[in-house]
Formats: sequence, C-alpha cells, structure tokens
Amino acid sequence: MAAIISGTGLALSPAARLLLALPKALAIGAFLFSLLGLMIASFTDAGGGASLALYHDLLNSHATRLAIWRTLWVATMVTLICLVTAYPLATFIARSRHRDLMLILVISPWLTSLVIRTFGWVVLLGNRGVINQILMGIGLTSEPIQIIFTPFALVLGLAHVLLPFMVISILSVMMQIDRRLTEAGMSLGAGPVETFFRVTLPLSAPGALSGCALVYLISAGAIVTPLLLGGLRDRVIGTQIFQEIFALYDFPRAAALALILVVTSLIAITPIQIAEAWLRGRISRI
Amino acid sequence: MTESALTVRGVSKSFGRVQALRGVSLDIGHGEFVSFLGPSGCGKTTLLRIIAGFETPNAGEVLIGGKPITHLPAFRRPVGIVFQNLALFPHLSVASNVGFGLAVRREAAAVAKRKIEDVLALVELQGFGDRRVHQLSGGQRQRVALARALIMQPDVLLLDEPLSALDLKLRRQLQGELKRLQRRTGTTFVFVTHDQEEALAMSDRVAVFRNGQIDQVGAPEAVYRNPATRFVAEFVGETNIIELQRQDGRAVLANLGGITMPAAQEVPMTGLVSLRPENVVLLPADDPSGVAAKVADLEFGGMTLRLLAEIPGCVQPIRAAMPAERAPAGLAVGAPVRLGFDLASAAILPGAA
Repeated sequence: MAAIISGTGLALSPAARLLLALPKALAIGAFLFSLLGLMIASFTDAGGGASLALYHDLLNSHATRLAIWRTLWVATMVTLICLVTAYPLATFIARSRHRDLMLILVISPWLTSLVIRTFGWVVLLGNRGVINQILMGIGLTSEPIQIIFTPFALVLGLAHVLLPFMVISILSVMMQIDRRLTEAGMSLGAGPVETFFRVTLPLSAPGALSGCALVYLISAGAIVTPLLLGGLRDRVIGTQIFQEIFALYDFPRAAALALILVVTSLIAITPIQIAEAWLRGRISRI
Repeated sequence: MTESALTVRGVSKSFGRVQALRGVSLDIGHGEFVSFLGPSGCGKTTLLRIIAGFETPNAGEVLIGGKPITHLPAFRRPVGIVFQNLALFPHLSVASNVGFGLAVRREAAAVAKRKIEDVLALVELQGFGDRRVHQLSGGQRQRVALARALIMQPDVLLLDEPLSALDLKLRRQLQGELKRLQRRTGTTFVFVTHDQEEALAMSDRVAVFRNGQIDQVGAPEAVYRNPATRFVAEFVGETNIIELQRQDGRAVLANLGGITMPAAQEVPMTGLVSLRPENVVLLPADDPSGVAAKVADLEFGGMTLRLLAEIPGCVQPIRAAMPAERAPAGLAVGAPVRLGFDLASAAILPGAA
C-alpha cells in the first residue's frame, strides 16, 4: 500500500524525513491508542476484571462465525474481481493517448458519496428495480428474482466501488514501465498478449498486489455497502459491528468484533505484502 | 533489388504537423554495416522505428530480403533491435534476458540453454547467465542487449545509439567489438548515431540525414572527401566553407585573398567550396605562393594541432589542422603565418545549399 506513495524513491534530507515522520507517528500513535482502548474494552468483563468471555461467546456463536467467514469470502471475491477487471482497464489506460481523461473517468465516481453510488445498485438490483422490471417485462420470470440483499449483490457493489483503487494501484506501476521494454518484447517475436504476460504483468505485479491489499482491507471493513446491498440478515463483520453499536449499544462486543476483524485482515494481508516485497526485490533497479 | 538485405522506398512520416521523414529511399546490402548519421530530430530514429515496425509510415514501403514488411507487425519481422537505453528486462536474469526470444519461440530447453551459452561466449560474457541485470557494468549490459538480439539471428539488426550513454574510452572499445561482432556474424547492421566520428569509424557506408531526408549515402571516406551538400561537409568533420566568385572569367576564392581555383577541376563560376582543415598547410615565411595570416587561436589535441587563422581583410577565419609534431616552432596566438591551400583536395558544393 505504501508503495503507491513511496514508489518514486525521492531522496530526502534528514530534516525532511523527520518532518514527514511526525504526522506518520501522530497517525500511527492515534491508531495504536484507540486499538489499545478497544483491546482493553474487549478483554474486560462486566465486573471490570480481565476475561476472554466475550471472545469465547463470539467465536462459539454460529452467526458470528458465519459473518467472519462471509466477510473473508466477500472480500476475497471482491479483490479477485477487481484484479481481473482492473488489469485490462489499466493496460488500456496506460497505452491510451487520452490517459488523463481516462483517469478522470475512472476516479469520477468518487465525486459522489458512497451512499449514492451504492444506492444506484439498489435501483438496479431491487425487487422492483430495473433488472427485475426488464426480466418480468420480457416474460423470463413472473416473480421478481431476489438479487438485492444477497452476497452476489454485495460483491458486485463493493467491486464497483473499489475498482478505482485497484486501477490506480496497477496504473501507478504500469506507467513507470518503459515503453521500450514492451517494444523489446515485440522485437523478440512476442505478440501483444505474450508481451503482456512476459513483461508487463511481472513488472506491474507489485502494484497489483498493493491494490489487492487495499481492496481487501476496504471490503473486509465495509459497512455502508453491506448495509444497503447485503442487508442485515446476511451479515458481515462490518454490519455486525454496526448492529452492536447502533442497535444493541454493546460497545465491548463491538470492540471484540473489531479486533477479530483486524486480526483476520492482518492474517490475510501479510502473505500479500510478503509476496509484493519479494517481487519488488526481484526487479533490478536499472 | 533482391540482393538487398533491406530496402526503404519513398518512406514518409509525419507526427501531427511535424514532417519527420520526406520520401526517404535507401538500399542496404547483406552483411553491410550502415550508419544513419544526423543531428537529433533529423528523422534517423523515426526511420529505424519504422523498419522495426513500431511506427507506420504515411507513405512508402520497407522490404527485407525483397519481401515487403511494411504491414507486418513488429513481432513478425526478422529484425532485431538494440535500444539506446538497452531496455533489458529488469525482472529477468541475464540468461533469461538473452533467451527471451527463444522462450517465445518455445524452443526446447536444452537447445535454448546451449544457444544462450554460445551467444554469451560470443559477446564474452561466459558464466554471467545467472547474474541479475543490476549486477552488470554498463559495457556488460550493452553486450547482453546485443546477445539478446543476435541470438534470434535477425536478417537486420538495428542499433539505436546504443553507445551514447557510455564514457569515451569504453565507447571506443565497444565500437571495435561491435564491428568485429558484425563481421563474425555477417549480420546486416543499421546503426543510428549523431556522432560522426563513430559513424565514420565503424561503417561500410554512412547515410547522412538532414531534416527528414538523406543528403548523402556513401563510404565514410567518400562522404568525408566529397560531401554532397554544405550540410554534410559541415556535419561530417570540420571544414572551411569558402565562397566562389567570378572574376575576369575565372573562379576565384574571394575569401582567401583572391586565389584562383585550379583549372583541372570542373569548377562552376559561383558556389561554395569545402576545404578541410588538414588541407590548409603552414608554409615557410618566404614562400610566395602562400597567403599571410595571423594565428587567432591554437588548440593542442595530442595527436593533432588545430589552429584558427585570420587573413587580413577577410571576415571568415580559416581552420587548419596538422600533426602536432610537424607544427613549426614559435607558433603562438598572434604569430604571423603563411597559409597554403591544397585546392585539389577541396570539394565543390553544388549550388549555395
């Protein structure tokens, strides 16, 4: 993730480094502080003593286990879908003469709020939504098909919202690839597809992995989109936390869930980060 | 025509309003080493990219071995290329870089391995196969790029200023190696450069580009001795451009104190003459055939001594050059000299180009 920002490898003076480290320390400090608060809250029982009861409860509850599993599964699917759709898009944009315009088009959804973008999917996928109207109109079905409030709708909505992150992550690396490298591939007999797989893909893979980590984390922690498209019946951890706080006012339980989310996300992200570092290391800086 | 390894016929190319090539035609024989020489922006690299298939010409065609390839995509052309920045694949080892084309051709691993070893030996990089690109020196990278192109046994190898990033000494050394490699493999080389010394030293023939056209194609010596245009005369080596004037029915070099051109040459009555500095000689002070001048500048260059001389009454200073050890004693800025001109070696330039 950090590679998006640090990819250019600027040489900085010690003073500049210190200046940059300050806000970093502030952000990390604030994050660690609140995380510590969460941990303490989640490990404390009603009497104020240390206890694992909350975690014991949560991890033994079928509903929670299902939510954790669903979260992992949805985030993985969203990541894979974004990866597969963003690659051709990024390749196309990197080669386009109107690169800036394309980039603006990709980012333009960010100009509207997340709620509104997600609500677009409600209009499309709802029981009385555009798709069901069409299906019923042409007589393919007499009853509306349940699309909204299914994991499918959730994955679709999240992939749509998060695609720009993946495109930008891949593009940031792809634009640094010297055009001559693909030309060299061509001059050695490789067609466009083979050149992509032998040159462009391996050289842009670190960026794609950054994008994967980013998209995975955001989808795993998503709340708004799961609320609007996934509903409250098929919960993910995000919606469950939302429920604990705003419906049940059970903050310690929300804290425990949040910690579970942090830990599972870390477990999922670490191999991606290791792979990214390994790949970057294999590319000669010349 | 089928004799040619590479034929370029009436190729034109423009980028927007900029006309990069204006109907260029050229024939290159098998095993020939031809340089495209010219200043930046003269179209030489554009022509190279058109031959490689990275650009499409607006008009004209390119043939290799007599077969038109103008509409063939780059990856189907029997053409290799060595880029200015080499464009080695940074994610691959030396062996994988060199074997890239073989892998694309799905050549059997054992055969490919042997070929890679052979070509690495050819460029004197035995045992470097497992290295990563960043572990190599500039000269070694150069050879990897060459090996990567040569292993495909291209009909024509294009080299786009591949030596320009290296320091002078390494450059000289690699020029020699490149030339030997070309002779050994018998591959047709097209070498793009803006360095006229490099072009003269390496090529069988030099094509001098100006403004999207070829001003002259010929052997280095021919181009140097008989430049076709003023541009060629001035770009290839140093020269004195002197105006011919008509006086009393004779062609006279007005700037050189009215010396008459020797009648032996077919001399137009007006035009320009190119006289190389080495054809301007210093004469003994009492030689009546000389022209009196004064040394305006001296430049000791080790092997050669170059000087700039001012002839009284002439605006244009004259460049002269001679082997340093043959320079007369007491030569200094401001000293009087007598200049002699070897006009038989001068080149008459057509028109006032």
